[in-house]
Amino acid sequence: MGTKIPNSMTIKKNKIGIVDYGFGNITSLENALNYLKLDYTSLKNPKDLKNFSHLFLPGVGAFEAGINKLKKMKWDNKIHEFVKSGGYLFGICLGMQLLFKHGTNEKTNQEIKGLGFFEGKCEKFFTKGDNKLPLPHVGFNQVEHLNTKVWKNIKNPSYFYFVHSYRANYKKDQDKCLFTDYGERFTSFVEKSNIFGSQFHPEKSHLVGLELIKNFCELK
Amino acid sequence: MSVLKRIIFCLYYKDGFFYISRNFRLQKVGDREWIIKNFGFDKTSNYIDELIIILVKKEPSYSDFNNFLKDVFKLKKNIFIPITLGGGIRDFKISKKYFDNGADKILINTLIYRNKTVVEKIADIYGSQAICVMIDYKTTNNQHELYSSSGTHKESINFEGHLKYLNNSRCGEIILNSIDNDGNAEGINLSILKKINKKISQPMLIMGGAGKPEHLVQALNSEKISGVVTANLFNFLGEGLKIARLHAIKKKIPLAIF
Repeated sequence: MGTKIPNSMTIKKNKIGIVDYGFGNITSLENALNYLKLDYTSLKNPKDLKNFSHLFLPGVGAFEAGINKLKKMKWDNKIHEFVKSGGYLFGICLGMQLLFKHGTNEKTNQEIKGLGFFEGKCEKFFTKGDNKLPLPHVGFNQVEHLNTKVWKNIKNPSYFYFVHSYRANYKKDQDKCLFTDYGERFTSFVEKSNIFGSQFHPEKSHLVGLELIKNFCELK
Repeated sequence: MSVLKRIIFCLYYKDGFFYISRNFRLQKVGDREWIIKNFGFDKTSNYIDELIIILVKKEPSYSDFNNFLKDVFKLKKNIFIPITLGGGIRDFKISKKYFDNGADKILINTLIYRNKTVVEKIADIYGSQAICVMIDYKTTNNQHELYSSSGTHKESINFEGHLKYLNNSRCGEIILNSIDNDGNAEGINLSILKKINKKISQPMLIMGGAGKPEHLVQALNSEKISGVVTANLFNFLGEGLKIARLHAIKKKIPLAIF
């Protein structure tokens, strides 16, 4: 195997893409990018992921169906290549969960393999303990951040919109995880070099959410 | 930190216009431009957690759905909050159309009585969090009768039975909507909450009758309630929702601070 020149080194201007794998609503994200006057391309085919610097992986729904769809469309390897070459990746909601090593089948509880960028497993809330808050966890909730680059100019704490019944079970070796409380402490944001993920929907979280999207898109 | 509650606004739409509702009778208010201009809707949305838009046309045709979604698209262009779309969902295809056009959730009422397998299918594809069930009811002698088809069809199942079914179903949340209190601005019917003994697993929202900030606070104070919904355009648009939200925060209701 020869040494490949990372794609990102050949890119001068930020080029933003959205993985459109038919899994959840990308119109809100498109709306947000339009509002921010950022150019983007919604990508239906992984083959079109050429010379992009920033990539959103959205998604709503079940882990297993989501990962299967990504694999079926051959997005999984392409996303790995993209990250390896230095591209900035941002998973939103299910898109964030898919970044983890494992997920869970909703009906059988069987362990499902994810993209594997982060250690940990996505499981249903309150599997341990006797907390019985309503599920899904719906609504705005508090996120306290660590002032990293993507959180520039965002007040601390801020409120973001969540809607989910499953949450990522973090492992301690993940450095820049952020947490939110809903009966228990869960991972609401992950960051590792060029990979980002939010359990919440920044595109549905008023102006602070837009700020986060803007900051991500401006990363160089 | 306690679980945050929600204030949700609801718009009724038909043939290019928005409506207010009084006991399920509709009155035309204005079109999309009018809503945005006169009520400063883009700014108003900064003070609500979510927006619901319901197509209130009976037996909507294909082009009714398309026109509805075209106006929804334009209305939500500068609004960055979750949006629930409802009205006329009689099969999976229509729900898909709503999701494809930017709905985060869909709102159903009649469908849950008529076709439970479609609801199952929607849950399979979009997840149960994407399904919101509205329970329209009238109260007579402390009994709650359930209605479908925009309040025109009385259902045979009683409130407790329906709630029990929903509690075990894959519906993500429930809105209790009082037809008697609808649009009267005299306060939300909280007596129905006494009928809910068992803890319901889904978030429960309540609607109908809110006319001033204190009405929202009274409902949000109930531990059984996750949020309030109001469709009262005149009382709450403009500065109304801002005042209501700030009032509720002052009264120690746990709400997000935007």
